[in-house]
Amino acid sequence: MASKVSLVLRPVKSIVVRFCPFEPNVESTRKFLQSIYHKKVQATNTNCEVTTDVRHDGSEPVVDVTFADGDRLIMKGAHLTTGEMLTALASRCNAKDLKEEQKSKKKNP
Amino acid sequence: MAALGSGGARWRRAWLPALQLLRRGSKAVTRHWKAMHFQRQKLLALTEYLPPRPSLPPRCQPPPAPLAPQEEGYARVLRGQLQDTLRASRMVAVCHYNSMAEEDVATLRHFLRRHGIHLKFVLNEVARPVLAQSKLRNLLPLFVCRNVLLVSPEPRAREMLRVLKGVPQVILLGACIDDTILSRQGVENFARLPSLEVSRGQTVAALSQLCSQTSSLLQRGPARLTALLDEHVRRLRDAAAAAGPPPGRSAAGS
Repeated sequence: MASKVSLVLRPVKSIVVRFCPFEPNVESTRKFLQSIYHKKVQATNTNCEVTTDVRHDGSEPVVDVTFADGDRLIMKGAHLTTGEMLTALASRCNAKDLKEEQKSKKKNP
Repeated sequence: MAALGSGGARWRRAWLPALQLLRRGSKAVTRHWKAMHFQRQKLLALTEYLPPRPSLPPRCQPPPAPLAPQEEGYARVLRGQLQDTLRASRMVAVCHYNSMAEEDVATLRHFLRRHGIHLKFVLNEVARPVLAQSKLRNLLPLFVCRNVLLVSPEPRAREMLRVLKGVPQVILLGACIDDTILSRQGVENFARLPSLEVSRGQTVAALSQLCSQTSSLLQRGPARLTALLDEHVRRLRDAAAAAGPPPGRSAAGS
């Protein structure tokens, strides 16, 4: 699925994936984690820290993305599919990349 | 064509169209499309295969029952291997596996093998039926995405955690150590426990400490009484020695 959605993690500072593996609603979050760890995605930003927090408290799976400009994206994976999470992250990353490019063009015309 | 009408020689009276055609026609096998001979066309039309028509058209018949999925031999072999592995291991740890380079996998396998821990890649389709019929059925929810099993005949939780600390792509989800299902936190707590010999020594020391305390408590009273009596006797002796010898003895001596 990562091959269909081109994910560029350049504006991402860190990703924390929190889930309880004994719950039945963690499949999409774990697949998202597998997609994030793909070598093509990791190659886009080697400074991006991907942390996994495995708990056993029945909590819902959550993906917490922190961007370099301070924004945060929190996705609750219990009712989301892997594709939706990847699309949401990719769209925000692309938007931030575009903004950065426009800023740099304005600075250096 | 001049040979047709003329009453010429006998061989010319029998009209052989093939001869005429062969004179200027092509061979039987040609590179271009060639019309079939009419007699051949008729022969093929007569001998064409006509399949028997069913009395009921197939769309009016009930759909055939779906075939039961046939068990593949390879899956059976893999299940048998997994069963043997689980039976022979005291520690079975289930980890989530993210993609790693081949050399990293080899390095990880090497470091685990140093402590007697084996790394096994399992397919969920093979593992789920095996686990459902074993004592590890509570670990079934973990087998969702790509997983690896770390199995060992000895419970080497501390070494396993130390190796996995340096590998962020392999994430420990849960384990079964000595017929006890543990979460990740449970495995970490288990790793902090002292070894069995040390635990036994601590238990023996704790039990003997109680008995020795009881013994000293019981002996305290009589020991104190004995000490007091000894002190009293010593003081009486000192006092008698200070008062001098008794008078009866001096008269018996003279």
